[in-house]
Amino acid sequence: MSDTIIRIENLVKIYGKNAAKTHALKGVSIEIPRGSFSCVVGPSGHGKSTLLQLIGGLDKPTDGSVLICDADISKMSDNKLSELRAEKIGFVFQFFNLLHNLTAMENIQTAMMFGKIPQKDHRAKAEKLLALVGLSDKANAKPSELSGGQQQRVSIARALANDPDILLMDEPTGNLDSESENEVLNHIFEIHKSGKTIVIVTHNTELAHRADLLFVIKDGILIQKEGLS
Amino acid sequence: MNIFKLVAKNLLRRKGRFVFTLLGITIGMASFVALLSLGGSMRGEVTRQADALGANLIITPKNWCAYDQISILTGNSLPESLQYSVLAEVSAIPGITAVPYLTQTTAVQNRPVSVIGIYPAEMLEFNDWRVREGNYFSSRDVRVLVLGSGIANSFNLNVGDTLTIRGENFPVAAILEENGNNDDTAMYLPLSVVQEIFDVGEYISYIGAKVENIAETESYIAAILDVVNVSVTTDRQLLSTVLSMLGSINVALQLIAGVSLVAAAFGIINTMMTAISERRREIGILRAIGGKSGAIFKIFLLESGLYGFLGGILGVAVGYVVSIFAGPMIAESGMGDLLKGAAPEASINAPIIFAAIFLSVAISVLSGFYPAWKAAKLTPAEAMSYE
Repeated sequence: MSDTIIRIENLVKIYGKNAAKTHALKGVSIEIPRGSFSCVVGPSGHGKSTLLQLIGGLDKPTDGSVLICDADISKMSDNKLSELRAEKIGFVFQFFNLLHNLTAMENIQTAMMFGKIPQKDHRAKAEKLLALVGLSDKANAKPSELSGGQQQRVSIARALANDPDILLMDEPTGNLDSESENEVLNHIFEIHKSGKTIVIVTHNTELAHRADLLFVIKDGILIQKEGLS
Repeated sequence: MNIFKLVAKNLLRRKGRFVFTLLGITIGMASFVALLSLGGSMRGEVTRQADALGANLIITPKNWCAYDQISILTGNSLPESLQYSVLAEVSAIPGITAVPYLTQTTAVQNRPVSVIGIYPAEMLEFNDWRVREGNYFSSRDVRVLVLGSGIANSFNLNVGDTLTIRGENFPVAAILEENGNNDDTAMYLPLSVVQEIFDVGEYISYIGAKVENIAETESYIAAILDVVNVSVTTDRQLLSTVLSMLGSINVALQLIAGVSLVAAAFGIINTMMTAISERRREIGILRAIGGKSGAIFKIFLLESGLYGFLGGILGVAVGYVVSIFAGPMIAESGMGDLLKGAAPEASINAPIIFAAIFLSVAISVLSGFYPAWKAAKLTPAEAMSYE
């Protein structure tokens, strides 16, 4: 956990124009070491999810920079950002965001379509990932046939499809009951042990206390940092 | 999982919409294929009729219009506006064999039938007729009928039956062998008898002429025009006139089919735009998991292209079936006059099939281009923020 995998420098994000301007982030700087488990906490609507979107290259910052493995993604083309997301970053969303017309197996394989894993290996790899999240028996189930916890576990398996270095999770247990929440968290901790860098936006204080690094964001400003350094 | 499987699953997720959009392009292509198939077949049929005309030259009054000329091919009633004396003057030119036609219409079992006044012996030789049954005309003034095989078959007439024309009963003396042209769909009387019962005096409709040396057709035409004030058309010119008219009709019909294709194209655009609107969040998910904008573009373009491919195949099949059933209907209609004696048969071949499928795919891909571009240019954040 010595080297820095994510470096954020003076990150600013402004939505809207003129009178409708909203300052979502006001100069946030963060460094996240490779293999660490980080949590971002803070009140709703204060910039946590925006920060996660900018780290994942889903959106571009108004100012400042995001460096992933020393590459400044804020200057990358749309296609390069897609490649980065396909190969280095896996996303897990609060509302799972699975494709509803596809089975669990197909959802995982869809992510592989955009990565570098040879197509002949897709099925075997997807089966392994389903086994990892304890859903081998649900391979052919569509999202509507799965519980919330199971859908989130499929979503985690999909995030791992291309073996990314970084997993970004936006309130992964925010929409689950406590039993499902524990299941999902156990899987997240297991995955972290395999060496993945995990950044989670959460309101879950128990989870936040188990993190290597804790960032508190309020009004678009990093007001507190705890952990490693 | 691959992009084609994903596309197929996307198309089938809303089966009703898929079916109705597919129907739009199928109907458009079917009408296009049916008209193309029937048009080709009609063209072939008219060419065959002209080839079987027997004459190299058609001599008509000067004031005849194109419709009158077409009627020579169809065997329809024609005005009796050429003086009978012209026949003698044309026949006197060396190297020309001329026969008169006086084409009138009567009714058999309440259906219109052409009755043509001819020189019996000359016509038998001119058109190389063979008698299927009965005894052919014995003279130029015998008051009996000779029937084309098509008329005899259509009305179930036999030698010995009697038909009434203009109040006079005429026994059927003979039935001709099938000739494969309009001769089969007319009935014949000696010229003088038709002139008398239709009260047309010393007039005929037109003259058919054969020339001894086809290479010198222009010289024969000049010779005819030297002695009589008429219009002379070669059988090729006549064919060209009719084909040109048929071509215009075909173009008009294909334009109508084109309109239905345009309507189908807008159906695809509408379907794809609706799909993008509904699947905006899904586009965001695909972008978030690494899909490039090019991949999104490809997915939506393939979806619309698949509509065209499937619609093209179904359209060819439906169009072919429609043209099979439409052929006899056209033969019964006014347009069928052009093809008297034969209903146009569905004529479809590999070039028509491939052209139709290619056109269908091309229209669909073009229709899908704008929606696919709209989908591809959505940023992940824009698409993901959609609820």
